[in-house]
Amino acid sequence: MDEVLLSVSDFVAVTNQTLEYAYPMVSVVGEVAEYRVSQGKWVGFKLKDSGAVINCFAGIYQMRTPLEDGMKVIVVAQPRLNAKGYFNLNVKAVKPVGEGSIKKGFELLKAKLDAEGLFAAERKRVLPRVPQRVAVITSTESAAYADFCKIVNERWGGLAIDVAHTQVQGMPAPDQIIRAIEYFNGLDTLPEVLVIIRGGGSAEDLATFNDEPLTRAIASSRIPTLVGVGHEIDHTLADMVADVRAATPTHAAETLVPDRGEIIRRAQAQAQSAGNLLVQAIDHYSQQTRQNLEAAFRRTQERLDATVDRLDALRGVVAQLNPEHVLRRGYALVRGDIRPGKVIEVEMYKKIITAEVQNAREK
Amino acid sequence: MPERNKTVQQKLTELSELVEWFQGTDFKLEAAVNKFQSAEKLAAEIEKDLTELKNEISVVKKRFDSQE
Repeated sequence: MDEVLLSVSDFVAVTNQTLEYAYPMVSVVGEVAEYRVSQGKWVGFKLKDSGAVINCFAGIYQMRTPLEDGMKVIVVAQPRLNAKGYFNLNVKAVKPVGEGSIKKGFELLKAKLDAEGLFAAERKRVLPRVPQRVAVITSTESAAYADFCKIVNERWGGLAIDVAHTQVQGMPAPDQIIRAIEYFNGLDTLPEVLVIIRGGGSAEDLATFNDEPLTRAIASSRIPTLVGVGHEIDHTLADMVADVRAATPTHAAETLVPDRGEIIRRAQAQAQSAGNLLVQAIDHYSQQTRQNLEAAFRRTQERLDATVDRLDALRGVVAQLNPEHVLRRGYALVRGDIRPGKVIEVEMYKKIITAEVQNAREK
Repeated sequence: MPERNKTVQQKLTELSELVEWFQGTDFKLEAAVNKFQSAEKLAAEIEKDLTELKNEISVVKKRFDSQE
């Protein structure tokens, strides 16, 4: 083999070319050490294990979750030899691995977003009670999506639902979901609710929803957001910044629309209550009318009784004036000319006497 | 036939207002029977509307796996 004489610069360039050909992108797992941020733009740290250490560099915008020394991460990077002779990994993406590191990354980002007020209750918008137009972001191949559709169709009708199919786990997922959020937010007529759903999974699967840019995209959505990720016990930053958090995709469907069966029952109960109120009103008016009639009858009866009493009294008086009563008491009624020698008729109670007047004088 | 020009939400609101009328000071027995018949009709329409309505679900054609 002929000896090739290279300049240092050429050697570095050839090395990089070879690296680029052999390892265009590598994923390396290790522990973060000496993590630092320069000028608010550049991130540098060492990635190490028990046997080796390597320098890593990245732009701050490529850090989708805060890091701290001691965290175990996977670095997706291009290996490069720089002009000063240092071998580096030019980082394209970093994600925590292992329960402890994922939790640590979650807590660090949570504290950061909390300090910015992204979880504040006053930021939360109320979802329309019955939306007409809804946007959904999910994997259309997932069971969670099938469950969501089933529950929404069972509960309500008349919705226009536009679905954006994206990955919901893995490195590309956050950016896909962000693009879908931007797509819906860029429509001329905005949907009334933006639903983001994903079924249960491991902490690493759900890590997509703890991605900082994605969390910020949800927080800044013009469309009110409803996020249902994982199971009830899973909490992600995405659902913490959402306007409404649903515990699961099924719960998201239940939160999104009312239950038509319940609405129908309520409408029937309302019509029934109107009927009951009508019957009550009729009863009330009937009772009032009956009471009025009874009062009128009582008053008429009283007047009639009074008139009868008065009539009886008058009848008594009239009876007292009957001449029969006078005759019965021993008096007599005299008829005829009472001059002496004339004949008169004397009527007594039982008898009528004809007599001649012998004398008539003044008393 | 249900009134298609009104949404279910409008009908629900109208039904609630009818029931409130029965409890309010404007109540008149002469008008109550007609109002009750309207309430029954609305409840029936709401049931029919809700039972018949279907959702339209469509998947957006745009792909989100690249910047395009």
